[in-house]
Amino acid sequence: MRKYLYIFKSEIMTNIQYIGNVLFGFIGFFVMMFIFLNLWQAIYDDPNELIAGYNMNQTIWYVAITEVLWSIISGRKYTKKIVEDVKTGNITYNLNKPYSYIGYSIFNHLAGCFIRFLVYFILGLLLVFIFLGSFPSLDIVQILLVLLTIFLATLINTLLLTFIGLFSFIVEDSNPFYWVYSKLILVLGVMFPIEFFPPIVQTFINYSPIYVVSYGPARLFVNFNYSDFISIIIAQLIYLIISFLLCLLIYKKGVKKLNVNGG
Amino acid sequence: MLMEVKNQIKISLLSIKYAIMREMLNKISFITNIVFMIINNSTFIIQWVVLFSIKNDIGGYSLNEVLLLWGLASSSFGVSRFFFKKAFDLSTTINNGKLDSYLVQPKNVLLSVITTDVEPSALGDMLYGYIVLLIYGITFKLFLLFTLFSICSGLIITAITIIFNSLSFWFGKSDLLAEKMDGFMTSFATYPGGIFKGVTKWILLTIIPVGIANYMPVDVMRNFNLSYLLIILGFTIFIVTTAFIVFYKGLKRYSSSNLMIAKI
Amino acid sequence: MTIIKADHLYKTFRIKEKEKGFKGSLKAIFKPKYKTIKAVNNISFEVEKGEIIAFIGPNGAGKSTTIKMLTGILYPSKGEVSVLDINPIKNRKKLAYQIGTVFGQKEQLWTHLTPYDNFKFFGAIYDINEKVVEKKINEFRELFELDEFINVPVRNLSLGQRIRCEIVASLIHNPKVLFLDEPTIGLDPVVKENIRTLIKRLNKEYKTTIFLTSHDVGDIEKLCKRVIIINSGKVVLDDTMENLKYHYLNKKIVEVKMKEMVNLDNEKGITILKDKGYNLKIEVDTKKRSVADAIKLLNPDNILDINISNTPLEEIISDIYKKEAKK
Repeated sequence: MRKYLYIFKSEIMTNIQYIGNVLFGFIGFFVMMFIFLNLWQAIYDDPNELIAGYNMNQTIWYVAITEVLWSIISGRKYTKKIVEDVKTGNITYNLNKPYSYIGYSIFNHLAGCFIRFLVYFILGLLLVFIFLGSFPSLDIVQILLVLLTIFLATLINTLLLTFIGLFSFIVEDSNPFYWVYSKLILVLGVMFPIEFFPPIVQTFINYSPIYVVSYGPARLFVNFNYSDFISIIIAQLIYLIISFLLCLLIYKKGVKKLNVNGG
Repeated sequence: MLMEVKNQIKISLLSIKYAIMREMLNKISFITNIVFMIINNSTFIIQWVVLFSIKNDIGGYSLNEVLLLWGLASSSFGVSRFFFKKAFDLSTTINNGKLDSYLVQPKNVLLSVITTDVEPSALGDMLYGYIVLLIYGITFKLFLLFTLFSICSGLIITAITIIFNSLSFWFGKSDLLAEKMDGFMTSFATYPGGIFKGVTKWILLTIIPVGIANYMPVDVMRNFNLSYLLIILGFTIFIVTTAFIVFYKGLKRYSSSNLMIAKI
Repeated sequence: MTIIKADHLYKTFRIKEKEKGFKGSLKAIFKPKYKTIKAVNNISFEVEKGEIIAFIGPNGAGKSTTIKMLTGILYPSKGEVSVLDINPIKNRKKLAYQIGTVFGQKEQLWTHLTPYDNFKFFGAIYDINEKVVEKKINEFRELFELDEFINVPVRNLSLGQRIRCEIVASLIHNPKVLFLDEPTIGLDPVVKENIRTLIKRLNKEYKTTIFLTSHDVGDIEKLCKRVIIINSGKVVLDDTMENLKYHYLNKKIVEVKMKEMVNLDNEKGITILKDKGYNLKIEVDTKKRSVADAIKLLNPDNILDINISNTPLEEIISDIYKKEAKK
């Protein structure tokens, strides 16, 4: 474990040099939030009106958290890199190294997530607070619990992205799967709370990864209650175990296939 | 003079044609790229269907009009990326000293540079715009207006990126700034202009001219308005001219300055 | 008739200097430090019609900067340029119709197209009637032996074939002057020879004035009648090839690996540079003794490996400086 923490640490040090770029990227987030603010102000006739159980501020906070989350966890380049490693057979070079390829990749990606978390979470929340002038009523314990679900969401997402990347062992190029995955989350899990969708779509979303990597943490943030928290945490743990096992399985199978074919 | 313009257009078209031929070498990936982009753009409809199920008037737009707005945004984005892909990469071209080989040709440097590459997926963006127009309800007049505005708006987007990328002549790196500016244009272009009020509205008519590039054209297509049309055309000419001036000012600086911008 | 005229040319550059580390980066933003480089420092020369002139010097001597000033890409900090009586600064476009340029390996060709299509594209750039272009291509096709690959996409050509096409592409509009910036850099000897032949033929057939830069003395030995050597932005020598050969290119370096040791001490015209028993490095003064003769001394049957090379340009330059100082 210590070597992975070391990988994590050194990757953070590398990323710190590009903190300027991350800050610059935040401008894009600022504009999107600004647009959403205007959009919801136009849709809500009265800020206290309830749409699908959300008042205006809650909806905006929801979008803010899902946007922040997506900015932190999305990993286009990460998936692409894994696909590339599988395709070129680079992945086999790592077989004789004293660390696992999956472990290395994951901690590498998490380091980037951590940097973006610092920028987007703090600045993002501050920004929306300035926009709205209010903050959802959360106590310290609740904030820590929300952060826990954000952490788990990041972890699950990283594992799922790894799985998608490693899926190249089976199909020639798994990049399109990343596209489908990210589109699903962006269209169904980021723009507005899932309660806005018709019931059938909601049922689908409740069983999909959207529930654990996007909706869950955001829902808790705008309207915390312990029973929701328990069900979200349980769902997250199940997803965590499944996605971890999927990664291991596909990696073992894929490497075996590579060894048989000689790369 | 007229002959010169004719020759210039001929060479730019030839350049674009050759660039298309290069992309077509791999036909499958060429077509996949286009189809993929059309599907990609289509996913937005979900968002708006849901939003309009809540309220049937958002910022003065109905679902149908948001569709039209999206179609124009997509089409103009397509025009800029397809024909002038290298404009969005101009800063790199400047910084890598790649302008020199164009400088020794007797043609317009800026046009030569920006027409040397095309983006296949942008063709999908363009097509998508027309598919949306079909859904909206196409008429001959609408078709002409839509095409005209796609070109105008595409030129405005290209001109803006040229202006900001050309700042590299003075400040070395300006690619991030140009990229952000372009991102602003795209982000605002897909939301109804009516949701923005006050100062924002003025910003969108000046600093980030989405108002002129996208909102006004949609207004003209809904209810024909000659003065808006003239404003759009006038602004397009103005910003394109500005782009040429800024680029050539920068080029002059590149030639005469004692600042080593590129590795010479 | 004077074709190119450079009159007291200067070009200085300022380069931002950055100190190391984060602090250095910050400092560079707010209080940048500049270092001035005199890339071209008072250069004057003239080139006559039909000449092949070589502009040689080590890397960073100012060759490229000079060529860029002659073609209008860069403006001189001071001094006057005129090419074909056109001022490149004021009339870059007008000049462009009259000159051809090849910048080393910076590719101007479309790699997915055949040389034929590329030539036609360049014809269009210079507003040449299509029929005229076709006639011109056919002419070149014979003269420069392009038949083999004129219909093969450029990306499938060898490096040598590509450069040949680059040069031909720059000739489509019948330029009166051709500027070649390091045309043979990175090429193998056979290809280099090939390109040299092409240039020579071009000069002979069309009387095209050729201005060529290189850092390779061999490049110009067979090509040019006149040489300008520059170093650190200054002209070191402007002389005929014959004189240069006689005074400075009269030495060859011979490196041999032998089966048996040979004693060459006190042999006329031979200086021993390095003697490691079976490995020997000598300098042969060709005015006093031919290289063939030197090899005979070593006995060809005794030689395992041999390498003959010219004196490096840097040494010639320092030689010139030394002789100047003696005067």
